[in-house]
Amino acid sequence: MNLSAIPSATPSLFSPELLPRLPQRLVEIILQSIGAPEWLVSIAGFGVAAGTVVGVFAGAFALLSLIERKTLARVQNRIGPNRAGWFGILQPVADGIKMLTKEDIVPAKAEKLLHLLAPILIVLPSILALGVIPYGREWTPVPLELGLLFFFAVGSMTELSIFIAGWASGSKFPMLGAMRAISQMVSYELPLMIAGLGVIMVSGTLSLPRIVELQSGFHLGFIPAWNICTPWGLVAGLLFYICSIAEANRCPFDLPEGESEIVAGHMTEYSGFKYALFFMGEYLGLFAISGLGITLFLGGWQAPFPGLDFVPSWFWFFGKLALVIFSFLWIRATYPRVRIDQLMRFAWLCMIPMALLTLPAAGIWTLLNRGGHGLLAWLVTVPLLLVPWVIIAVIFNRRLAPATRTYRFADS
Amino acid sequence: MIALLILTPLILFAALGAVWKARPVHAALLLALSLALNAVLYLVMGADFIGLVQFMVYVGAVAVLIVFSLLITRPGDEAEELARRPRSVLPGIACVLPVLAVLVFTVSKVTVPESGSTASISLETLGKALFTTHAPAVLALAVLLTAVMIGAALFAREPAKKPQNPSDS
Amino acid sequence: MKLRLPGAGLLEGLAVTGRNMVESFYKKERMTTVQYPEERAPISPNFRNFPFLVYDGDAKTGLRCTACSICEKECPPQCIYIVLDRDENGKSLKRPKVFDIDLSVCMNCGICSEVCPFDSIYMDGEYELSTDDRFGGLLFGLDRLAKSAEYHMKLRPEQASEVMARRKADEEKKAAAAAAKAAKAKADAESKAKAAAEAKTEEKGESA
Repeated sequence: MNLSAIPSATPSLFSPELLPRLPQRLVEIILQSIGAPEWLVSIAGFGVAAGTVVGVFAGAFALLSLIERKTLARVQNRIGPNRAGWFGILQPVADGIKMLTKEDIVPAKAEKLLHLLAPILIVLPSILALGVIPYGREWTPVPLELGLLFFFAVGSMTELSIFIAGWASGSKFPMLGAMRAISQMVSYELPLMIAGLGVIMVSGTLSLPRIVELQSGFHLGFIPAWNICTPWGLVAGLLFYICSIAEANRCPFDLPEGESEIVAGHMTEYSGFKYALFFMGEYLGLFAISGLGITLFLGGWQAPFPGLDFVPSWFWFFGKLALVIFSFLWIRATYPRVRIDQLMRFAWLCMIPMALLTLPAAGIWTLLNRGGHGLLAWLVTVPLLLVPWVIIAVIFNRRLAPATRTYRFADS
Repeated sequence: MIALLILTPLILFAALGAVWKARPVHAALLLALSLALNAVLYLVMGADFIGLVQFMVYVGAVAVLIVFSLLITRPGDEAEELARRPRSVLPGIACVLPVLAVLVFTVSKVTVPESGSTASISLETLGKALFTTHAPAVLALAVLLTAVMIGAALFAREPAKKPQNPSDS
Repeated sequence: MKLRLPGAGLLEGLAVTGRNMVESFYKKERMTTVQYPEERAPISPNFRNFPFLVYDGDAKTGLRCTACSICEKECPPQCIYIVLDRDENGKSLKRPKVFDIDLSVCMNCGICSEVCPFDSIYMDGEYELSTDDRFGGLLFGLDRLAKSAEYHMKLRPEQASEVMARRKADEEKKAAAAAAKAAKAKADAESKAKAAAEAKTEEKGESA
């Protein structure tokens, strides 16, 4: 594979733009100055880059667990954890210590090797997927030519890992939870990929840094040229957003791990650090897929307003990531859990038709815009997307509305 | 070359295990492992696209499908499976040998390019070829898959019930 | 059928939770959390935990309990242990020498306070009683159980004021009865003295 992640020339080592690159560059410079061979320098550089990514996101995961609890608490009119340290900032540390010191219980009927392997296999795709996302102008840990395909390929490994986790536990709840989780993830992966397909078609490339670069510039001086600011992009972006909630098994799609439904689903028989790994894998997967959504639809590291060149590009990326994650938390606090049949019906009857419609919409939009007919593009694509949506919504409302109750023995 | 030497025995072991193991789920997972290692082989040989697609399709879809069908059809227990095995391995070898001979013959006829360069076809040529030269095959496959999906949906459908009055039960 | 934009209900839900989130920062009536070790939630007047003994004035001499042992006999799990204080002649001093309640046995039913005829045992409202001594730390003696009547008034104002009013009425009645008796005794003594004086003068008159 052609992996060239080391930029050739850097303007200044300590500029804020290249701050994320700093550890890698420092290690490379040190190793080169002591005369280490080329392969060692590149491997060490990659190691440091990978370590930085994992370290940053593991720290973000810890912070997110605290912020999630406090945000959920504020929505529910209570204060979140505030006993461990000032405003509960040490709560993730306390949680980590708790997870590490818990007894590791493996059921007697479990498959030992698979039971041990499953948490690792769940965390692995998330970390791999984090490596291809462009966080800033020069900062894609591994800028692959086929970055998006790599992302989807490792993402599809998660389903098998969940099955291994559920089956290796050797008991009913994990098995049932794993089956539900797999069916949910497979159903929602389709609209995810079809929505991404529209972006690929318009951008003409699978490489994620290139997709971000193609979303630069501003229409009318102040509207950014992100993919979400187009009609097909709005629909595809919304679909991607909903599917990423379902892929990460978060509320309202957290049936596989709902506590009131099946204890903890495929994670039931895991305790201690393995459970912490599951937890981490879920949140890292959330980061990865929201990062991908931001890259494909929200313009990645592009600034939202013109004239803000002095702000480093990774600031915009992480700002958008923070907003998207906050919206996930808000949605978690608001909506009840959907049932498995409602989930499936929603995916197959509503999301896949809409996702399939974004493809011709994206094509028509791009062709008409390249031909210079901007207004016609709007006039054609907006009804093409809006009318089927309204029809589907009306059909859903009619068929799924509860029947009016009539009481046989009550007085009127 | 080193990668090839490491990968090939692993793939062989995984494939043999997939065939040999008594419990179906183990066999399915070992099959998934051998397919994943195949994908790694493609990546090592420089066919990026095919490798990633192999991973996505086989490990992400086919293996999940196999495993799912195993769960739903719920095979019998281990002793039953072991008892159903044939006593000797000779019929198996008798079936495999001709196939192996044909494979070896075909592979020996292939000429490998001398320079060890990664002959990578660009994605664009691949896509164009798929939809112009090989379009009939792709369309036939699409029709087949649609038929399969409709058939499966019809097969698994419950008989439609009228919405009942909730107080009538 | 009312025409609503599909998805409008979802957005309304988000608005409600968003408002909750924002208002919880500056509206005090939304946050009902009581930060426990620093603040304590007020306890209701009917909350009862384990008993305490009431004294008026002084803990040693004003103790209302007369060690009649009715509460000891009525207690369902038998958690009270009373030893009557007797003087050197064996006469009861009408106060307890030992009054132990075992907290790990007491079931907080309140029967002891219902049957006490001397208004001396009532249910307390303390709940922060954790101790690391499982046996000694949960055996409460007279020193820990005796609390003043003012404490009772602060804890359960209604009950305490009713008890005080009743005791005062009883005392007044007793005082009135005692006064009446004293007056009657005095009247008797006076009439007896008058009769004796009359008898004496009569005697003197007869002998002269």
